[in-house]
Amino acid sequence: MIAIFKRELKSYFYSPIGYVCVAAIVALYGFFYYAILMSSGTTAYIGSVYSTLFSFTMIILPILTMRSMSEDQKNKTDQALLTAPVSVVSIVTGKFFASFAVYFVASTLGLLPAFALAFVSSPPWGIIFGNYIATLLYGGAMISIGVFISSLTQSQVIAAVGTFIASIIFMYIDGIAASINNPIVTKIVGWISFSTRNATFTAGTFSFASCIFFISVISIFVFLTSRRLESRRWS
Amino acid sequence: MIEVKHLTKRYGVNTAIDNVSFKIEEGTIVGFLGPNGAGKSTTMNIITGYLSSTSGSVTIQDIDTLEDPSAAKKMMGYLPELPPLYLDMTVKEYLNFMFELKKVALPRQKHIDEICRLTKIENVYGRLIGNLSKGYRQRVGIAQALLGNPPVLILDEPTVGLDPKQIIEIRNLIKSLGKNHTIILSSHILPEVQAVCERIIVINKGKIVADGKADTLAHDLSKDHKLVARIAGIEKEIVQGIRELEHVEDVLSLGEKEKGVFEISIEATPETDIRRSLFALLARKGWPLLALKNSDLTLEDLFLKLTSGEDFAVQHDLENSEHPEIELEEAQDEADTSDEEQTETEEKGEDNA
Repeated sequence: MIAIFKRELKSYFYSPIGYVCVAAIVALYGFFYYAILMSSGTTAYIGSVYSTLFSFTMIILPILTMRSMSEDQKNKTDQALLTAPVSVVSIVTGKFFASFAVYFVASTLGLLPAFALAFVSSPPWGIIFGNYIATLLYGGAMISIGVFISSLTQSQVIAAVGTFIASIIFMYIDGIAASINNPIVTKIVGWISFSTRNATFTAGTFSFASCIFFISVISIFVFLTSRRLESRRWS
Repeated sequence: MIEVKHLTKRYGVNTAIDNVSFKIEEGTIVGFLGPNGAGKSTTMNIITGYLSSTSGSVTIQDIDTLEDPSAAKKMMGYLPELPPLYLDMTVKEYLNFMFELKKVALPRQKHIDEICRLTKIENVYGRLIGNLSKGYRQRVGIAQALLGNPPVLILDEPTVGLDPKQIIEIRNLIKSLGKNHTIILSSHILPEVQAVCERIIVINKGKIVADGKADTLAHDLSKDHKLVARIAGIEKEIVQGIRELEHVEDVLSLGEKEKGVFEISIEATPETDIRRSLFALLARKGWPLLALKNSDLTLEDLFLKLTSGEDFAVQHDLENSEHPEIELEEAQDEADTSDEEQTETEEKGEDNA
């Protein structure tokens, strides 16, 4: 797993893709911290910095995950991975953590403006860290979904578009459910809604249940991706 | 040791491999021979665990590949048809990555250096794989398979894309590796298999059609043990003279090939050697012998014979088969063009006689 993690992480930085994604996210953090907080002149709007950035991150994440599995299938390098004495789950886990690591670096660097603010004001750290953890967990879940989608196709473009559509669905699923007057639908959506889980963190509170929820989503999709790799052998 | 038992792989209604069984002893080099799409790569992919089989089992050094895949995979080095290379890595990075991936326990730098020396890739060690030529990529692929000194090597068309000099180098490398590795290599180039392998398994349409030692396969599968001689003298006297020799079943003149020189086809009873008595006869009569050759099937003929027949697929086990002649006759019914030519000349020869 560690060998695959290292290789995948490096491969993000062999090509510009890793640098571009990290730079884009960090630049956006900087920009919105500046634009929103400077214009309002108060740190009370830090929540809206994160919620704005959230949509942008959802566009960048598919680019991070699109090549994760599909490229191996296309270049037949999966033959090296699958005939090596490693389990399929550890291959997928290695790939997931590599994508996540890039995202983690970008999000963590996104905290820099907050630290800069600390010199001149006292930002609400609870809300900042709540949002930071929410970004990581929600992003992690989306990465695991992205990795799964990229295992379904050999085409990186299809993987990216598919992941993007999936992330839009998760973003707006609450809105769609609200327009359907059916208590069962509302209840089911309530269970799977990422936003509801996310909201507890963005309010500045740490919810253990939401934490477990996102980690479960990650585990499920890592598992599904492994099953997908296995099933290709049996087709 | 590799043991494959009743391996079958179906893709929907298509059967890629059909009930393939064989056993390979330790330290042998086995050639997998067959036309494109015969099932060579599929068989190799199943042995290495990349694909699963529909039914049947594979054991590597007594480890079932389904029961303990990790342990079995550790025993094998695999070079797939297309080397599984990451084009964005340098050779150095790639080999180090594969070293870690395969969980090799040998001293890293020393081992990698040794493999680079064996496969002659030291001079491209620091270069990006994406910038290497096909031949070098192939060698990096072989280097990757050798990492960790696995006792079993599975090489799918290892010399594809190499220039003639490299081909010879790689063949020699494989031969030298054969001393302490069990190797399966696939190819559709016959001289290659003949040059490198001790045993040949011919596979066609997913079935094993022949299995035997490289040098005896053609000989044993030949219907008859024919000699073809070029003798100077008078045609009728020569044919008559040879006919009277012991163990000679049939003599045919194939016509005058040079001025006053006739090509004679001599068929002897199986398991006999008439060359000495033939020489004695010719010497006594004063007929100069200008050429003498065994007309065993060449591996090429054999290959075409075994693989051209539409329905011809006989599981042929040399040691156990009682009637190889009958099988060959079936094959000969499916005569290819070269056979037809031969029959024509034979007929002509008969007329002459």
